[in-house]
Amino acid sequence: MDVFFQALVTLLAPSHLLMLMSGVLLGLSIGILPGLGGIVGMTILLPVIYGMEVHSAFALLIGMVAVIPTSDTFPSVMMGIPGSSASQATIMDGYPLAKKGEAARALGAAFTASLIGGLIGATVLMLIIPIARPVVLAFGSPELFMLALLGMSMVGVLSGNRPIRGILAAGLGLTLGALGDAPAVPVYRYTFGIDYLMDGIPLVIVGLGLFAFPEIIDLLIKGRSISETTTLGRGWLDGVKDALRHKFIILRCSIIGVVVGFLPGLGGSVVDWIAYGHIIQTSKDREKFGFGDIRGVLAPESANNAKEGGGLIPTFLFGIPGSGSMAVFLGGLLILGIQPGPSMLTEHLDLVYTAIWSLALANVFGAGLSILLSKPITRLTVIPFNLMAPFIILIITFAAYQATQSWGDLIALLVMGALGWLMKQYSWPRPAALIGFVLAGNLESYLFISVQRYGWEWFGRPGVIILAMITIVSVVLSALYQKKIKQASLSTGGAHAK
Amino acid sequence: MPSNLFAFKNIFALALTLWFGYVAWGALRFPYLAKMLPLSVGTCLFVLGIVNLVQQVVITSRNTEKDGGGFADLSTDWKIPIELVWRRFFIYFAMILLLYGLIWLIGYPLTMTLFIFTFYRFFAGASWRASVIAGLAGLSFLALTSHLLSMQWPEGLVVLPWPLG
Repeated sequence: MDVFFQALVTLLAPSHLLMLMSGVLLGLSIGILPGLGGIVGMTILLPVIYGMEVHSAFALLIGMVAVIPTSDTFPSVMMGIPGSSASQATIMDGYPLAKKGEAARALGAAFTASLIGGLIGATVLMLIIPIARPVVLAFGSPELFMLALLGMSMVGVLSGNRPIRGILAAGLGLTLGALGDAPAVPVYRYTFGIDYLMDGIPLVIVGLGLFAFPEIIDLLIKGRSISETTTLGRGWLDGVKDALRHKFIILRCSIIGVVVGFLPGLGGSVVDWIAYGHIIQTSKDREKFGFGDIRGVLAPESANNAKEGGGLIPTFLFGIPGSGSMAVFLGGLLILGIQPGPSMLTEHLDLVYTAIWSLALANVFGAGLSILLSKPITRLTVIPFNLMAPFIILIITFAAYQATQSWGDLIALLVMGALGWLMKQYSWPRPAALIGFVLAGNLESYLFISVQRYGWEWFGRPGVIILAMITIVSVVLSALYQKKIKQASLSTGGAHAK
Repeated sequence: MPSNLFAFKNIFALALTLWFGYVAWGALRFPYLAKMLPLSVGTCLFVLGIVNLVQQVVITSRNTEKDGGGFADLSTDWKIPIELVWRRFFIYFAMILLLYGLIWLIGYPLTMTLFIFTFYRFFAGASWRASVIAGLAGLSFLALTSHLLSMQWPEGLVVLPWPLG
């Protein structure tokens, strides 16, 4: 418990608080930009955290990622365009509310729900640490390998609407992660004689290439000019009251958010639809959904903030990211010299608690700032993309160049960008590829250590057998479950909301 | 033979499948510990890739595929003809290549300043004044971040004084 409060004291030091606030402001800005979400935000920050003090870096990264689902509500409600993939379902009822002149009410309700959801996520993370400790510490390399495999298989099956393509996308990431020097033996793999590839493709390049580049190109191709804008209107307090009146909806959907965040592969883009589907299925009076029912705003908004707390659980404890942004966070941990996994609970417990406090405080700051700055932020959402595009291209190319500070970075960004764009056009799930890429190194190290230490006898370890069975069962179950999600999404109009 | 057998998405799926095959084949010459993962993963993915390709071709030929977006991604809902999408994609891709060429020649900061200015003035239709301010804002951002966070940028063939080169 001492460590828990010590972490708060550390975080409240001015320098750490400044980092947290910087992260929150950056996260709020990225959330507003259509298409750009946690993955791009995390990736842009990676070059910045090199050599940074670990607690400060944590405050910055988590402060940023925690509030994206808060501010991405602005474009969803005001313009009917998702600020990031986590707030697509919010459009269903948020946008109709704005058209009725109740944007402020929708935003007030959304920010309150986001705040409560985020706090619930942080609380669950805090509660789970002491419970998980004995289980996690019993894991050796063979079990961790199987767990990574379990994570990968779930990523494959759950992300995307065709399981086979999801597995292939995750595998593509895995093979990209295998480029360059092999762990354990002095061999350079698949370098095609290019020096740049000897160290492998940097995570920054893969993250920005697969996620930022395609979004920018798509927005430029669309040449979207914002024609329909709405005013904020009145009703902030009504929104807050709505949220408090429906507190059980927020509680239920927050728990859904934590669980979805925990499961590898689901993450941001589906959590909002699951919560939205859930609230429709469990409501008796459904006729107002889709026409501006405030419950349709509360459900996705509480779930999408709660998912970050859930997503940090497998990331910290097993080194298996629950979502794309957590995959980049995992890469960030490695940059900071921290090996996620059981050692987080022994050597770096203070960092875990710093993360929890950062998550909680960032949600409070994020919701507060979103309300206080709602007027200027609303004005920001109507800036045509053409005016933002050159600056985003500048930030992305500049961030990419910091990876190894060579021309290879810029060329690799272009190649990865083209790959990401094609994957997006043909519905190959990019988050699965990113998670595969990040897990490649861990997966191979665990396998290598297992084989070196136990030969091939590690296959017979009870933990390994149990995890293998869970993998098979989970793949089958998740394939079935995915059909249900798809049906729920289709029946609630998810397929039509863009 | 279905007419859309050579649809771009099938070619893309084929390219990925060939890549997986190459990963498996290439792994054969690595020492044991370095080939374990790529060989096993590459082989499995190659087989799965072929299954996917066959599935995709069958679905395409029956034209029953309804997989627009996918849950894991922000879906792209084009309201313009796909030919136009491709044409614009190549235009913007070429624009970035041109940008790279200029960076190679005159360095990053000056290129980006000119790029922002040109984009504002001629693509976005902003006023001369706004375009100049935007270009200078970009340059100031670069100068500030490189100064504060000691970030580097690509230098050009033509050596210019800081912060232009």
